[in-house]
Amino acid sequence: MKYTILWKPILKLVLREFFIAILLLLSVSILIFSILKLAPGDPLHIFINIQTQNPEEIAAIKREFGLDRSIAVQYLSWLNNLIHGNFGNSFRTGRPVFGELIKVGVNTLILTIGSMIVTLLIAIPIAVISSLRRCPFLSWGLTLFAYILSSLPVFWLGYIAIYIFTKKFNLFPFLSAGAASGFRINWIYFLLPIIVLGIGNGSISEIIRHMRAQLERVLSEDYIKAAKAKGASIWRHSFKEGILIPVTTMIAAKIPFILGGAVVVEQVFNWPGMGRLAWQAALDRDYPVIMGITIFAAVVVHLGRLSQTIVFAFVNPQTSEKGEAA
Amino acid sequence: MEKKKVVINEVLKVEDLRTYFYSYAKEAFIRSVDSVSFSIRKGEVLGIVGESGCGKSITAQSVLGLITDGPGIISGNIFLTHNGKTINLLEGLPDYVSVKTKRKAILEIAKDVTGWLKRSEILMKGIRGKVISMIFQNPKSALNPFITVGEQIAESILLHSSISAKKEAIDAAAKWLERVQIDSPSMRLYDYPFGLSGGMCQRVMIAMALSSEPALLIADEPTTGLDVTIQTKIIELLKQLKEELNLTILLITHDMSVIMQLADRIAVMYGGRIVEYGLKREIMDSSSFIRHPYTIALLNSQPTVEEIKMKERLRAIKGDVPDTITLYRGCRFYERCDLKNDRVKKKCKEAEPEMIEIGVGHYMRCYLAEG
Repeated sequence: MKYTILWKPILKLVLREFFIAILLLLSVSILIFSILKLAPGDPLHIFINIQTQNPEEIAAIKREFGLDRSIAVQYLSWLNNLIHGNFGNSFRTGRPVFGELIKVGVNTLILTIGSMIVTLLIAIPIAVISSLRRCPFLSWGLTLFAYILSSLPVFWLGYIAIYIFTKKFNLFPFLSAGAASGFRINWIYFLLPIIVLGIGNGSISEIIRHMRAQLERVLSEDYIKAAKAKGASIWRHSFKEGILIPVTTMIAAKIPFILGGAVVVEQVFNWPGMGRLAWQAALDRDYPVIMGITIFAAVVVHLGRLSQTIVFAFVNPQTSEKGEAA
Repeated sequence: MEKKKVVINEVLKVEDLRTYFYSYAKEAFIRSVDSVSFSIRKGEVLGIVGESGCGKSITAQSVLGLITDGPGIISGNIFLTHNGKTINLLEGLPDYVSVKTKRKAILEIAKDVTGWLKRSEILMKGIRGKVISMIFQNPKSALNPFITVGEQIAESILLHSSISAKKEAIDAAAKWLERVQIDSPSMRLYDYPFGLSGGMCQRVMIAMALSSEPALLIADEPTTGLDVTIQTKIIELLKQLKEELNLTILLITHDMSVIMQLADRIAVMYGGRIVEYGLKREIMDSSSFIRHPYTIALLNSQPTVEEIKMKERLRAIKGDVPDTITLYRGCRFYERCDLKNDRVKKKCKEAEPEMIEIGVGHYMRCYLAEG
């Protein structure tokens, strides 16, 4: 079957999203930069507390890291470096931020994508079962169960999971052991934190609610009744509007929350990821690292939005035709 | 259960069909379809006519088992004859659940509906779309907006015919589009419904419904939601296809002019009941002086060309369709009836008239018809 995909409007959409992304990144970076500078604390304490309190030396260090200039100049020079592909060096380790980000970014990506899958695996079946309204008690029970699950705070869930599965039953190893020995990729290390973040990120109930509402609406559409009347599968006909679109919407909407949850989970499980790096950098006022992570997170969040737009354009021929107006 | 003999050339025979919905708010049944019986012969068009809310569409959807809003009751017999075999579409499904308006009893019906639907699905498999096809009102919303029309027709062909290759099915779909008089069908195949006009969408629906060569086509208000000129064209098309393919059609409409043009037999529905039933020529024949007051009122509300020229007011039927929750002792049309006279008034109020035969195959539910 030949699909008539209208490439031109889709390209237009992507271009538009790209410009939005640039504007977004600019404003996010300005905001975060200002907050960092306004916040109390000083990166100098990392260098200084082990050295003398000599004012001249402090001034020299300040000059070395460019901290003596005004905020605007500091921001512009950071931006200039960024445009040239340079994220700067970490104050703490002195290594390039970009390399550090890539190293831990992969771990975080595994954690977040994995937990997203866990969340969807729990949420989608419950949403589908309860939208059918065939068995009210089952769907009521499942929904209640899901609401309880997503009300559990992730840090608590993490410690409880470690206590039960690692300490009591010794089913999963301590992650820190793996991290100390250079962190080899081993699924057993990943499993517990992924499940904990998947359950504890708090999005299960919202995904169920959104999906059920959409699916119920689609299942009551005339075209589903017509599909049934012609003997076709109602699932085949409701898949695109009833499942694919809401799932994509929810994935794109929940990426920021999952990244936020990752910070906590990485802390709890000693997971060498971006969340832990961000935590450490925030404690140390390691400005280049914080900025790098901010940009990285903003790009990931926006990529989610972009993929949502692209999926919508492919699924719904009408949005891609009206691309400019959408 | 006693076996009833079904006349061979009857495609569909509906006996005592009741479709009730239970209303939690009113703690009573909404009797949307209340003991309706009719039959359709092969090659015949039966028109069910009545105002909105008379139970016409619910009747059609009950036949196809499309009523899924529980709790409620669907009972009676729906005999479908296809290839010399007769099956009852409500066979083995529980008939009646009595309700004493207490919470516990309500749950019992709700549970039963789940089982009922499951069994109905099994019975209807292989019948929906294959033996009985349906076209809907508002064709634009009845086509899946995310799938090209060609693929939607091809899906029906793949499901219900011997064709199993997708390419052949697409070719067959193009042929059907040509049959329903769509220009350049091989191009239209790849259009999405939003790119087509309402009339085109209805043609696509008709093509899709007929592609499985069904024994019965249910047309549920096929012209509603279309422009008047398009309506005429769709009626013309149905007429033409009926001649070509010897179609059997159950036509549901509130539009008397559609009935006049298409139907061979008419069932006039009012408040969930059939009040008049017979051949069109019997009922519409100007020499026939006995008609149900409701049929007369319906015919009168249709303005003639002269009246439009004279700019006369439309003769609407006064009052509203009765709610189908209340149990009436007398005739359901009593309040709105213009023809009730002193001779029958008392009877009309006291008991509902029975269906009586007043001509050959012409039945009516009115005391006026009695001698």
